[in-house]
Amino acid sequence: MILDLHAHSIKSDDGRAKVSNYVQWIKTRGLPIDGFVLTEHRQFDFESDYSDMARESGLVILKGSEVETEYGHVLVFGVTESLTQSLDFTNIRLALKDVLKAADDHGAIAIPCHPGRPRVGMAAHIETYGIPAGVGIVETFNGGSRENEDEIAQVMASAQGYRGIGGSDAHIVSHIGRCATRFEDSIRNETELVISLRSGRFEAITYRNAAA
Amino acid sequence: MRKQDNEHNIDEADIREARAKFLNHVFDEKTFTFTAEQFADYAIACGETASCYTDPKHPDFQASPGFPCSLHPSQRMPDGYPRFNGLGMDAGKAITVYQPIRPGVTLTGRTHIHDIYTKSGRSGRMVFSLIRMDIYDGENLLSSADTSIVIRERPAA
Repeated sequence: MILDLHAHSIKSDDGRAKVSNYVQWIKTRGLPIDGFVLTEHRQFDFESDYSDMARESGLVILKGSEVETEYGHVLVFGVTESLTQSLDFTNIRLALKDVLKAADDHGAIAIPCHPGRPRVGMAAHIETYGIPAGVGIVETFNGGSRENEDEIAQVMASAQGYRGIGGSDAHIVSHIGRCATRFEDSIRNETELVISLRSGRFEAITYRNAAA
Repeated sequence: MRKQDNEHNIDEADIREARAKFLNHVFDEKTFTFTAEQFADYAIACGETASCYTDPKHPDFQASPGFPCSLHPSQRMPDGYPRFNGLGMDAGKAITVYQPIRPGVTLTGRTHIHDIYTKSGRSGRMVFSLIRMDIYDGENLLSSADTSIVIRERPAA
C-alpha cells in the first residue's frame, strides 16, 4: 500500500487545496497512491470527517499534524485528543524531546520532516543542539524539497540509522503524490498507520522524476 | 536605528499577550455608501463579466464578491499594537460572503484583529496578524474581508 504521508488542505493557513480536489486529482490522473494523510500545520483537525469521501473514492484519507520544534518541523501520526491536551500544537517552539515523548505516551509517533531544509529541518540544528535522542524515522523524500535538501536528509538518515518516509508536502492540488511511502501492510486508519510505522515495514518513494 | 518603544523581536510571550489584549475587539468603525456605477466600474476593472455585477439594470445587481477587499478602515491597527521587529508584507486577502451588498445602502465596516499567530519556514520565523473587517447593512452581516499582514523576523546580523 502506498500513502502520501504529508499533505496540507485549506485547513492549514498556507494550504490552497480542498481535500475533495486532491481526491479528484488522484483519481482522474490515476496517481499510483492509495491515499494520503492530512498533516495540517500547528493543529489537529478534529472537526473534519472524510470517511464518506474515502469510501466513495476508494482512497485512504487519514489525519495527522505538523508541529514546530527547535529542530524544525515534525509530523505527528496517531494524534488523539489527549495528545493535543498535553502538547500545545500552536507553539512554534516546542521541544523535540517533548513531542517525541508525548507522542509515545499517547500511542502516536513523531517524525521530523524535510530534515534537510534550512531553518525548519533537523539537520540545520544538529550543530547547535546535537543529535536528538529518540528519533528513529525521518522524512527522506519531501515533494517540496529544493536543490539537495532530500540528499542532506538521506545522508543524515544513513549516518544515524534512521528509516525514511516520503510525503509530498502538497499545499496545492497538483503536488499531491509527488513523494510517498510504500507499506508492506494494509492501512485503514491512524492506529494501523502508527503500528506500521513502528514496525519499520515501509520505504520512502518518490515520483518527482516520473513523467508528468 | 533606534527602535520605537513598542518595536521588538518576536517572542512567544509577546504573541500571547497581544492575543489576550487585541483579539476580537473592534478598533475601527467606518461607514461607506456606493453607487451602482461604482460597483459596476469595480467589477469591470476586475474582469468580471457576470451582468449581476456589471449591469446596474440587472434585477439582482450587487457588488462583486471581491469588492469588500477594496474597503479600508480609518485606522490600520489598534492603538498600542506591537510593532514586531522585522520585514512586513501583505500576506493575502480572503472574503466571506453572507448576503449581497446593494448600491445606495449605508454600509458599516467594523474592524478587529481576528487572529495573531506565528510560524516558522525556510525564511525564518514570522508573525501573522489577521485583520477582519465585518461589513454590515444595519445589523445584518453582509461580508467579512480578511487582510493578513506578515512580519518576517529580521535575520540576525
